[in-house]
Amino acid sequence: MIIVVGAGPAGLAAAKSAASKGCHVTVIDSQARGGGQYWRHQTEVSGYKSNRSIDYLHELQQNILITHITGAQVWSAEKLGDGYQLNYLQGGVEKKISGQKIILTTGAYDRTLPFPGWTTSGVMTPGGAQSLLKGHGVVAGKTIVVSGTGPFLLPVATALAKNGARVEIIEAQSPLRWALSPLALLLNPGKFPELIHYVSAILRLKIKVSFGSAVTGYHNGEVNISKVRSNLSIRKKNVRSATADVVATGWGFLPDVTLGGILGCAQTLDRDETVIFAVDREQRASVQNIWIAGEATGIGGADLALAEGAIAGLSAAGSRIPMALIWKRFTKRLFARALQRSYPVGAGWQQWLTDETVICRCEEVSCQEVIESVQELGAEDARTSKLFTRAGMGLCQGRVCSRNVSDLVASTTKCAVSRNERLAASNRPIAAPISLGVLGDGIAG
Amino acid sequence: MSNDISFFFNGEKFTGAKGQSIAAALIANEQRELRRTRFGEEPRSIFCGIGICFDCVVTIDGVANQRACLIEISSDMNVESSL
Repeated sequence: MIIVVGAGPAGLAAAKSAASKGCHVTVIDSQARGGGQYWRHQTEVSGYKSNRSIDYLHELQQNILITHITGAQVWSAEKLGDGYQLNYLQGGVEKKISGQKIILTTGAYDRTLPFPGWTTSGVMTPGGAQSLLKGHGVVAGKTIVVSGTGPFLLPVATALAKNGARVEIIEAQSPLRWALSPLALLLNPGKFPELIHYVSAILRLKIKVSFGSAVTGYHNGEVNISKVRSNLSIRKKNVRSATADVVATGWGFLPDVTLGGILGCAQTLDRDETVIFAVDREQRASVQNIWIAGEATGIGGADLALAEGAIAGLSAAGSRIPMALIWKRFTKRLFARALQRSYPVGAGWQQWLTDETVICRCEEVSCQEVIESVQELGAEDARTSKLFTRAGMGLCQGRVCSRNVSDLVASTTKCAVSRNERLAASNRPIAAPISLGVLGDGIAG
Repeated sequence: MSNDISFFFNGEKFTGAKGQSIAAALIANEQRELRRTRFGEEPRSIFCGIGICFDCVVTIDGVANQRACLIEISSDMNVESSL
């Protein structure tokens, strides 16, 4: 049996293609419904090409070769004989599942950068605002500033505006940066109708859009907007302000690499220094009988995830990979590279901070405390700084702050973050917190 | 969606729709603050909204550190701000 972890686009494509070759597949996912973070359909919110998910979700529900385990949080994984065992929590009860082969499609979450006021209620990620709307039918606020960088700001802003919020987009990069990637645009003509869809929605919904700007402060409902350079350093501080009850801010995505890390799959750094998994031509990880597809092998969006998932599913089923699928993955990877070039996240954000700005939300560690751990206590890397300050040691295990803490420490020591430090910062011994009681008894409290 | 499930948050009664998370149901009722932080006692709401950041942790029926953005409301559930 093949176990697919994650029911987003990559996981669904993997399950569908493996089942098409006659394999039994179990898809295990933390949500109540399939579709992942990207395809959420509890509430009717029309988005571009959202109907594409219907085939995959139908397959998940109807194909007798596919079993779907929902509401399951996989917290650890281990090698067991020829195969693997995954340990998961479902409704507070600890359970296990084992299989010969594993396809990991664990997806990604919003990357965030700190700014004064980013811990106030009302600041959330674009993914958070989208999940409230599409997953739960709740518009996050009445007046919303959607800020950061990347194409994901567009579906979030337009969906919020369609549902009655007054929305403004603050994009840090210039759209002219797309001129750096002519080949990627040429080979992905399908992206043009998508762009036209969003531009016309923005015009129709009267969404104000600014480029080369960033939210650099939020206090008592007032949003401070500064002009920024492409490396995010400040060109002109607080050029204007806006009022908003919600600021949805995100800087691309970070893959969730925890589970593959626990299983010992080799990681590497993407061109923008994001920690991803190293996979071969057929999406095989460095560990036998494990395949990895989707955002965990490099952020690239749903189209790339679908191609990678289909390849992983066929490979796990022992089938030949059609050239057309390899070509599709190539063009989508080219587009993913263009996204990195068009929406870079430089270290200039550190200029936005004040001494008091919190950098680690869980442990409430300020920017000043991290800097002092270097200047006064002699920390030379983020790991040592973390031991002094507890930055990155809270419930989220550094998923939100560890990259930012590394960058802040590096700026203070004036040494670049090493490859080993980046890779080590993504290692977590467990994938989700579990109470000792559940661990001991197998049941909650 | 019809709001036909009632639950308690810090002793106050709220209603939400079936399938809604605790955080979504509270935000829909303009209750944005979910807890106060341990050291600074700063108000916190949801942040990542998908179970990654643990900013929205609450105590549910006596079980601490539960993510309000993930757990769906159920009838007479007792939700309290964690500290």
